[in-house]
Amino acid sequence: MGFLSENNDPDALASLSSLKKHYGFIPRIFREQLARPDLVASEAKLIEGSLFNKGALTRLQKELILLTVSAANANNYFPAVHAQTLQFVGVKLEQSVAVTTDHRAAGLTETDVALLDFAQRLTLQGNKFSAEDVEELRAKGYSDEQILEAVLMVGLTFLLNTVQFGLGTEPDFKPRLNISQKEVNPEPASERRILERPLTDESVSDDPDLEIVIRVKNGETDAFEELVRRHGRRVYRSLVGILGNAEEAEDALQDCFLKAFQHLPAFEGRARFSTWLVRIAINTGIQRLRGRKDFESLDEEVDDFKPRRIQAWDENPEESYSREELKRIVEQEVMKLPAKYRVALMLRDLEELSTEQAANALGLTIPGLKARVLRGRLMLRESMVAYFAKGAAGVKA
Amino acid sequence: MISCQDFITELGNLLDDDVAVEVRESLQAHLEHCQSCQVLYDSTRKTLRIVTESGSFEYPDPIAEPLVTKIMDRIKGGCEVPKSVE
Repeated sequence: MGFLSENNDPDALASLSSLKKHYGFIPRIFREQLARPDLVASEAKLIEGSLFNKGALTRLQKELILLTVSAANANNYFPAVHAQTLQFVGVKLEQSVAVTTDHRAAGLTETDVALLDFAQRLTLQGNKFSAEDVEELRAKGYSDEQILEAVLMVGLTFLLNTVQFGLGTEPDFKPRLNISQKEVNPEPASERRILERPLTDESVSDDPDLEIVIRVKNGETDAFEELVRRHGRRVYRSLVGILGNAEEAEDALQDCFLKAFQHLPAFEGRARFSTWLVRIAINTGIQRLRGRKDFESLDEEVDDFKPRRIQAWDENPEESYSREELKRIVEQEVMKLPAKYRVALMLRDLEELSTEQAANALGLTIPGLKARVLRGRLMLRESMVAYFAKGAAGVKA
Repeated sequence: MISCQDFITELGNLLDDDVAVEVRESLQAHLEHCQSCQVLYDSTRKTLRIVTESGSFEYPDPIAEPLVTKIMDRIKGGCEVPKSVE
């Protein structure tokens, strides 16, 4: 435990929602400052304005400063938290570790290295800092606005590091990197210029599952149960719609969660966890469908379909049925559709995937997918006439 | 003037609100004089509304808990790996 008590009261934590949005969870260090909610709220605002919001420097440049300065201060806590969070904007853990260990050997661009040299000098030798240092950065093309942001970012990191030392905050995760002062490379910028793909600069995901995903990734297997509870229903729905069979959907549901668990280390948060999971569900379902003996090909051509039952419907025909009845009618009639149309319709109209996403999931062209969805809709409409056309109400499923 | 078959071909895009202005205009012009396509359009639109709002394919509560337990048991028991994700 840290030196002061941690507050996990939901009302108190509500004032820190901006941090949750950016970090995906509320790091312990902020929960330990809730004895003065007003102060920690100001701190959160400062962090949001100086770090998370895009300024003259990119969010990532500022994150790199935080890692470098924390390393120079021998602070383990913040690199651990930010390295985790950065994974969700596409920065691999190893890249963050590399920046923290030696930013000059981390595959960064020359201009980013110059920025981090500047931040490191200001951290280690602040009293000797001079106009020359600023000039060096200008020579690399940095504007005064960017230089100011860099200086403020160094200051903010000092504040954060000092608060953590002062409160003795323990890590939120098992730390992957352990920094001691001597590991930080004090040499001036070398000629080593390693260019890598530019780091992305998207805003951190506000994925509500992020905190649990991180816990599971860090070895807390039991936490996965909460993900199963949260998403079981949705996954089941996708599977039963694809497979057209409740029993098989239950088996496939288990497979889907096992695959998700096993592939979680590869999940980088480019999409929300729920989106990623549904993608696994769809693939699981389609794989099973293709493996069936009586499999009707998903790839066949779609023939023309002529609607036959043209009878007007009431304005709100569903009002003649209870919710339970409607549910049963839809399930029964959707299940009757041939697989190739049912799956396309499920993905578009129940899962609400975009045309592109659904076409991708099924390996179809966009016109091919559209033709199947339309055919599925028209066939379903045809079977619904018996329930919803004028005068038909009351026919029970 | 477009035919009923042309209208049906474009119906999916019309329902998805994914048609160019000029196409939409010609579809609407067709609807104004074609009773059958009006009924077809109206009833398909309502079918979709009913499907989307029906809450269908939810799994029944009694199976939810045993499934969670089964999944967690298989995970903790070092389950065999199902086929690939892709």
